[in-house]
Amino acid sequence: MRRLGRVVLLAAVVAVASAHVGSPDTVFEGTAGPYPVRVVIRTPGVVPGLADIAVRVTGGPAVKTITVLPLRGGRETAALPPADTARLVAGTRDLYAAQLWLMQFGAYSVQLTVDGAAGRGTAIVPVMAVATRRLPFDVPLRVMLVALGLFLTVGALTIVGAAARDSVLEPGVEPDAARRRRARVVMAGGAAVLALALWGGRAWWNSEDASYSRNMFQPLHAATRIVPAGVARAIRFTIDDSTWLDRRWTPLIPDHGKLMHLFLIRDDATAFAHLHPVARDSNTFVAALPPLAPGRYRVYADIVHESGFAQTLIDTVTIAGPATAWRASDPDDAWWEESRQPSAVSGQQDTLADGAVMTWQPQPLVARQDVELRFTVTGAGGRAVALEPYMGMAAHAVIAAPDGAVFIHLHPLGTISMASQLVYQLRQAGDTARGALGRRITAFEDTAPRAWMTGMTPALSFPYSFPRPGHYRMWVQVRRGGRILTGAFDLQVN
Amino acid sequence: MTAIAAPATSHRVTPAPVPWHLYAVLVAATSTVVGVIWDISWHRSIGRDTFWTPAHMAIYLGGVLAGCACGFLVLRTTFAGTAEQRAAGVRFWGFRGPLGAWVAIWGAFAMITSAPFDNWWHNAYGLDVKVLSPPHVLLALGFTGIQLGALLMALALQNRTDGSPSPTLKWMFVYAAGLLVTNVTIMGFNQVAFANDMHNAQYYQVAAVGVLLFLAAATRASRLAWPATATAAVYMVVTLGMLWILELFPATARLAPIYRPITRMVPPPFPMLLVIPAFGVDLVTRRLRGRANDWAQALAIGAVFVALLFAVQWTVAPFLISPRSENFFFGVNRWDYSSRPGAFEHQFWDTEGGILGGRTPALWLLVAAVLGTASARIGLAWGSWMTRVKR
Repeated sequence: MRRLGRVVLLAAVVAVASAHVGSPDTVFEGTAGPYPVRVVIRTPGVVPGLADIAVRVTGGPAVKTITVLPLRGGRETAALPPADTARLVAGTRDLYAAQLWLMQFGAYSVQLTVDGAAGRGTAIVPVMAVATRRLPFDVPLRVMLVALGLFLTVGALTIVGAAARDSVLEPGVEPDAARRRRARVVMAGGAAVLALALWGGRAWWNSEDASYSRNMFQPLHAATRIVPAGVARAIRFTIDDSTWLDRRWTPLIPDHGKLMHLFLIRDDATAFAHLHPVARDSNTFVAALPPLAPGRYRVYADIVHESGFAQTLIDTVTIAGPATAWRASDPDDAWWEESRQPSAVSGQQDTLADGAVMTWQPQPLVARQDVELRFTVTGAGGRAVALEPYMGMAAHAVIAAPDGAVFIHLHPLGTISMASQLVYQLRQAGDTARGALGRRITAFEDTAPRAWMTGMTPALSFPYSFPRPGHYRMWVQVRRGGRILTGAFDLQVN
Repeated sequence: MTAIAAPATSHRVTPAPVPWHLYAVLVAATSTVVGVIWDISWHRSIGRDTFWTPAHMAIYLGGVLAGCACGFLVLRTTFAGTAEQRAAGVRFWGFRGPLGAWVAIWGAFAMITSAPFDNWWHNAYGLDVKVLSPPHVLLALGFTGIQLGALLMALALQNRTDGSPSPTLKWMFVYAAGLLVTNVTIMGFNQVAFANDMHNAQYYQVAAVGVLLFLAAATRASRLAWPATATAAVYMVVTLGMLWILELFPATARLAPIYRPITRMVPPPFPMLLVIPAFGVDLVTRRLRGRANDWAQALAIGAVFVALLFAVQWTVAPFLISPRSENFFFGVNRWDYSSRPGAFEHQFWDTEGGILGGRTPALWLLVAAVLGTASARIGLAWGSWMTRVKR
């Protein structure tokens, strides 16, 4: 047992990675019918496992009951399990909590049903169930288990000795020297057997642990290169993961009309780009490279699969040499550089490239608590300005930690991928051929009104739950007068 | 007319009453077996569980009951026992108590240890990803310890009784042996539970190895006339009891995906008809006792057991996998909520390389008989030791 404990201690490194880098919680802000809700789902980091779901009713008609039901995949089954009723959290009037049983790896849709004064309303919240966590074998538990293990080992040997020495003697008869000697031999044999069993147990545990580690979520491997493109330069992002090349993943579907959202963040966070590379083939994506300052950049690529599974691929790339002319390969591409901004980055206000001012309404930020990050955009004289939809949304935002371990692409709807949500809304029982659902989603995005677009007000809000305390930089992107404008903010989370 | 002489009354000793702690430990051992069968059914019917399911409570009740009863027994024997009581115990770190009580206490501690270990395991690697995991094995060792402790406690009392022990005591020993056999069939659930495996060589090999250890030991150590048959009967009664009781209770699957709407608890499969090969084991043992050495006896036991088990199970298997057997008696609603309905329900499984698909059925049976012989030989040696256990 002690050996086992040591092995696990050595292996006990908490690594946080997720479909959204280092930001495992799912946050959704939207409506379930007539009821406005904010949903936070904290996944356990292990599959199968229990996720905690908290539903905050943020206004609207009176709510009677809220039920939650996680569903996996789109295959027809004989029955649905009964939904769980979320209970009102003690001491609150608008916060409901329940647990979700996520039993298989992959994309789940959580069906949220709200019953109340205005009837029944539903919402779908996509959640990625992946193993992202190595659980440490903490000291108190280790000490307790080692102590009990020692007790059991020595106890078993004592019992074996007693069985060989005393048990076959008539009551009251004392064992003679020969019998005592024999008991010692038997105990030695028992010790050898136990040692073998413990050694086997250790090997077994190690193999289970290795098997778990192999199944932990790793985003698809990708390679980024800066390549010449005529007189300019382009960034080429290639998914070269063998599981992707072997077509073991379902194809990609567009999210906000783009197959890929590629973000470049300079190591010191002084430069940032949000690009939408064009697919050259199913593996290669290319975008014109903005005139970013030379340096090493972290590359994050958000993609969504037809299964509804959303992931962020990670890489780094070094941009060298002088900037070249840039002609955006996608009209929604945008970039930002701190040195070119009219004002320095602060925690409160940023002057945008067109002179408008973006202001954060400060509030205390606490790790692992859901918050609404609110911003306003004002023009001259402090008057609110009109914004235009940017890829169907009022705004896009990115939050990143300085070490690159946390990265999240946010919308006013939260952390969820719109495309994942569409998968569950548009999926039909007959969607068995690869690509069928993807084509329908593309057609829907092309033709359907941007039903999910939130009201175009100059007040923006992004629901989020910071995964850990520390310093973060946040970029908020809006469109105004046909230009994409980026504001940057420094946030301190306690 | 031949008169059969009655035993001399002067040697006749009234059997001592069976002590309360033996009842307690047997109830505890039963609780663990019932709990484990219930828990398997729970996972197959409802899917979702917590530490506090009734099935888990039954398992842990067994641990607590055995631990408390035996703990009290050894404390009382050590500090307040008569000289006679202390003399009838074995020593353990300065304490005194029956060997079986120590084994049961060890089992209870193993079960207690497994609880936080299992909890950590679930948090680290997922909720019951596999039935066989290190903490589950520790738990299984624990409740097996309680069953073994019950067996040894009944045994010591039986062996200490002058003349013939009370029928209650004799049956208690066999009952504990039957629980251990049931335990083996639970551990070998994937090999020896489903009728679909009965045309597969592995079924006979696992059954021979797992069951004969206890049947052979029982033939040696029990004072009943037909101990192997009685042990097998206990296994069948317990399994059938659980089969018939569980399917009375309504249940609903609570985890997606649900491929079968469950309305009743999924019961354990119909037990193997163990009394028939066990009767063969008894016949052979009675015939060879005192005439052949243990190796020869083990060989005969292994051969007869495998031959009879094969004859019986091979024959009944086609009926058991057919829709005709889907009734209350043989078990309805027998598949997990999460298994997709399919032809497999009425097919024999994994027969390639086994008896049905292979070209050498006799060889596979021979392997089973050899394994059974080895198991029986160990069982006989263990049984011989058990005939001498007095404390």
